[in-house]
Amino acid sequence: MPKVILTGSICQHVGGLSAIEVVGATARDVITTLETSYPALRGWVVDEQGALRRHVKLFLGGEAVSLDAPIAPGEELHIVAAISGG
Amino acid sequence: MTELLVGTKKGLVVLRGTRGGAMEIATRSFPGEVVEYAIRDARSGRYFASVTHGQFGPHLFYADDPAGQWQQAEGPAFPSGTGAAVERIWVVEPGVADGELWCGVAPAALFHSKDGGKSWSLVQSLWEVPERAKWNPGAGGLCLHSICPWPGDPRRLAIGISAGGVWLTEDGGKHWRRSVGGLVPRYLPEEARQDTHMHCVHNMKRAPRQPATLYLQFHGGVYRSDDAGESWTDIGTGSGLPSDFGFPLAIDPHDPNRAFVIPLVADADRVTPEGKVRVYETRDRGTSWQALEKGLPQSQAYLTVLRQAFCSDAGKPLGLYFGAQSGEVFGSTDGGQTWSTLAAHLPPVTSVRAA
Repeated sequence: MPKVILTGSICQHVGGLSAIEVVGATARDVITTLETSYPALRGWVVDEQGALRRHVKLFLGGEAVSLDAPIAPGEELHIVAAISGG
Repeated sequence: MTELLVGTKKGLVVLRGTRGGAMEIATRSFPGEVVEYAIRDARSGRYFASVTHGQFGPHLFYADDPAGQWQQAEGPAFPSGTGAAVERIWVVEPGVADGELWCGVAPAALFHSKDGGKSWSLVQSLWEVPERAKWNPGAGGLCLHSICPWPGDPRRLAIGISAGGVWLTEDGGKHWRRSVGGLVPRYLPEEARQDTHMHCVHNMKRAPRQPATLYLQFHGGVYRSDDAGESWTDIGTGSGLPSDFGFPLAIDPHDPNRAFVIPLVADADRVTPEGKVRVYETRDRGTSWQALEKGLPQSQAYLTVLRQAFCSDAGKPLGLYFGAQSGEVFGSTDGGQTWSTLAAHLPPVTSVRAA
C-alpha cells in the first residue's frame, strides 16, 4: 500500500499520526480513502469540490504532483502545507 | 461577569472580568490561525468560532467551553454541482426556531442549521437567484456578512451582501426578493446607479424591540428602514457624522431609536478621522449624531475597526465593545459615556462579541 506522510497541525485530524498506509491508485484515491477513515480531515487537504487547497502541496518521490498522479504500493505521498507569504 | 469573544488574526481571545472593571485573557484558542468571527448562542450556551487556516481553508468549530475541546461542524460546505467552495465564514447568527442558526459566507451564500449548529446546509433558493451574476465582490470578497432574524417570527429574515444589496424573505428562506430602494451607490457613475445590483452593504442590524426598524452602514451612507427593509432613508448626510463611510454598527437592543457607528475615512484610507477614535451615537433614529469619546484616544490615533469588531450587549446601562486592527479592545458599560481600554496588545482584531 502507499504511505501518506503528514506533518504539522494537519496530523491532529488523523489521530495525531504522521504516517499512515492507505489504499489507492492515485493521490486523489489515497486522500479520499484517508478522509473516509478520518472524517475530521474532510475539507482540509481538498475543498468540498475536490480541489486541492491552494496552499497545500503534494510530493511523490521528491516531485510536486497533482491529485491525479498515479501512486504505486510502497510509495510515500507527502502532504505539505506550502510555505506562503514572505 | 462580562465575557468578550475577540477574534484576531492569531487566534480567539476570551476576555473576562467584572462588568465595568478590568478584563483579563481567560483563554486563547486556535493560536496562529485567523479567527474571523466568534459568538455564543445564548439559548444553548454553545460557542462558535469561524477559523480560516492559512493553508487548510475555512472551518467552523463549536464548543460548550471555549477553554475545552472544540468540535468541527459539518459544514458550511457547498454541495457538489454548485462548483463553489467556501472561502471565508463571515458570520454565525442564532435564529428564532429551536436549534436554528444561520451562517453567512464568501462567496455570498447563506447556510442553515436546524441542530444547534452541528451541521449546515446551503439555502439553495438564495444561491440560485438570477441576480447573483450581477453582484460584485468588494475589497473583502463577495460576502454575506449581515443576518437579521425577526424576533418571534422564524419566517422573516433580512440579509446584507457586499456587494449584492439587501435581500428579504418572509417564508423562512424559500423565496427572496431584493430591497435596495433609497440606497444610493455614490461610488458608481450617476448614470449607472439606477440599474446596478452592486449595492455595497457594509453592515446591517435590526432593532429587536421594533423589528421593522433596521439600521444599515453603506459604502458611503448610513441608512434606516422603518418598514422592515422595504425602503431606506439616508440618516448620514448633514447629521453630525465626520464621515458616513465605515463598517462597524451597533444598536441598543432595548431602544429602537438608538444606534452607534464608528466612522472611518472614506474610502481607501479606512482609519478613524482626524486621528481621533470616536463612536457616534444617535438617540433619535439618525436625525442627529453625537460623538462619544471620553476615554478613547483623541490624538494621533489612526485606527481601523472592522465590520464585525463592534457590538453591544443586553445590559442596562448598555455595554459597548470594539476592537481595532492595532490590537486594542475598548469597552464602555455606561452606554458609551466613558470608555476604557480592556486589552492593548492583541493581534489585529477581526471581531468582538459579548458572550
